[in-house]
Amino acid sequence: MDLTGAFGARSAAVGACREPPGLESLHLGGGDGGFTALLELPPTQAVELLHFTDPSPSSSQAAVAGIGLDVSPPPPPLHAYGALTFPSNAALMERAARFSVMANEQQNGNVSGETTTTSSVPSNSDRVKTEPGETDSSQRLENNRCGIGKRKELDKKVKGSTKKKSKSSEENEKLPYVHVRARRGQATDSHSLAERARREKINARMKLLQELVPGCDKIQGTALVLDEIINHVQSLQRQVEMLSMRLAAVNPRIDFNLDTLLASENCSLIDGSFNGTAMQLAWPHQVTETEQSFHHRQLQLQQPPQPQQWPYDGLNQPAWGREDDQGHGNEHNSLMAVSENLMVGSASLHPNQVKMEL
Amino acid sequence: MVDSLFPSIETTVDDASPESRRKRRRISETAKETAESSEINQESLKRWRTNRVQQIYASKLVEALRRVRQRSNDGGKITSAAREIRDTADRVLAASARGTTRWSRAVLATRVRASLKKHKKAKLTGARKPRKDTAAERKRSKLPAVERKLKILGRLVPGCRKVTVPNLLDEATDYIAALEMQVRAMESLAELLAAAAPRSMLTRP
Repeated sequence: MDLTGAFGARSAAVGACREPPGLESLHLGGGDGGFTALLELPPTQAVELLHFTDPSPSSSQAAVAGIGLDVSPPPPPLHAYGALTFPSNAALMERAARFSVMANEQQNGNVSGETTTTSSVPSNSDRVKTEPGETDSSQRLENNRCGIGKRKELDKKVKGSTKKKSKSSEENEKLPYVHVRARRGQATDSHSLAERARREKINARMKLLQELVPGCDKIQGTALVLDEIINHVQSLQRQVEMLSMRLAAVNPRIDFNLDTLLASENCSLIDGSFNGTAMQLAWPHQVTETEQSFHHRQLQLQQPPQPQQWPYDGLNQPAWGREDDQGHGNEHNSLMAVSENLMVGSASLHPNQVKMEL
Repeated sequence: MVDSLFPSIETTVDDASPESRRKRRRISETAKETAESSEINQESLKRWRTNRVQQIYASKLVEALRRVRQRSNDGGKITSAAREIRDTADRVLAASARGTTRWSRAVLATRVRASLKKHKKAKLTGARKPRKDTAAERKRSKLPAVERKLKILGRLVPGCRKVTVPNLLDEATDYIAALEMQVRAMESLAELLAAAAPRSMLTRP
């Protein structure tokens, strides 16, 4: 339609913001049916009317510019285009045309940019109430994301198309208000839409939790899944307590030299497992008394599965730091490098070598 | 040096890889829907599985434990030391969260108020009248079963009692991921130390 084409051109020219405050006023006028509301409408409506007759975008723009914020009844511009005769009739026809215009407009999603510029119209906050009774055809309004002012309700739009896309909770974190699109065949009540958005949020998070907690995939139902989650959290907390008790039990025994033990551990592991590999250390064997323990420690370290091989590289640094005075400073770097190799080492390699050494 | 660790320690992320694959699929699905919330959750989940986080936590944990040991030297009871260790571990865990989550802030905050609250809570629990569990009460309280469970979950996650449901679920997700990392760290640390300790005791004399 040339109408929509003209709109497209205009919106493109103005810098199409998809904000249709003109629609607001339209609905206000349409709902009440008051002529005052119609007259309040910016002359853009008149311009739309004009586009019925005059498809040239430049002239329409000029008309709009000329009209400006004039809220006077449309007769002058109408006269200028010779489209309509009397104001009253013009208003009526305007209104009739507007609806169809708006319908077309919405269909193609082109909103004239001038509606924003000429929005001296008091665009009230309760915009876009879907009033299915207003038009016979299903209105397709646009779902825009411009957060203008404070909207008390969600923007609900019924999409008459066959697409079942539903956008919910977009920009949830930035905007306090959610723009929701109702699916086909669902209630468009503001409450139900709000509830639906809320439910979808919660369901998304529950899905993530289900993935996190093992064994929750098969379970159906929120309550049971929550049960599992609670059990999991409780078991994790209990495990932490058990481990802390173990650490507390272990700790006093290593009072004397936690650092050297850790250091020696790592070194021993390195020694034992990587005889064949690159790093041959000249370990001064100050801690010879624990030499036998090295192999045992190796064994113990191999037992835990791979995921538990902890990158205790952070351990080495403070340990080595304290050992500097013991004359291991020169081996600082080499030891750390070797500890890396330790971590790198395959589990399969270790047991064999341990067996050899034992 | 740290770089060489990363390819090796990908094995530690073994249990995470199928999950991460699932997550990636889910990301594409939810991209159309709740992009923001799922992104945030994915981030938080992956955060607790990275090697860097694990290393940071491990080193901090060791330092804190050393300090704890020095403070309560040979204290006699294990349980009190255990509690201290657990609190220290929790604090270190919360610290590595860098204050982005609610529970981490709550954990760090309760450090100051812990003793006070304990006394207060003891008084309160003693004075409260135990409710008789009538059938009507049970029926009344059982109706919103999911809500009750959410409340329980809120009590479990520190600092999340009066928190909205979606936030509570977010916090729970992050908390579970963090707890899992904590358990892994403490377990391997305990293994290391347990391996070290008895040998030294044996060979000492």
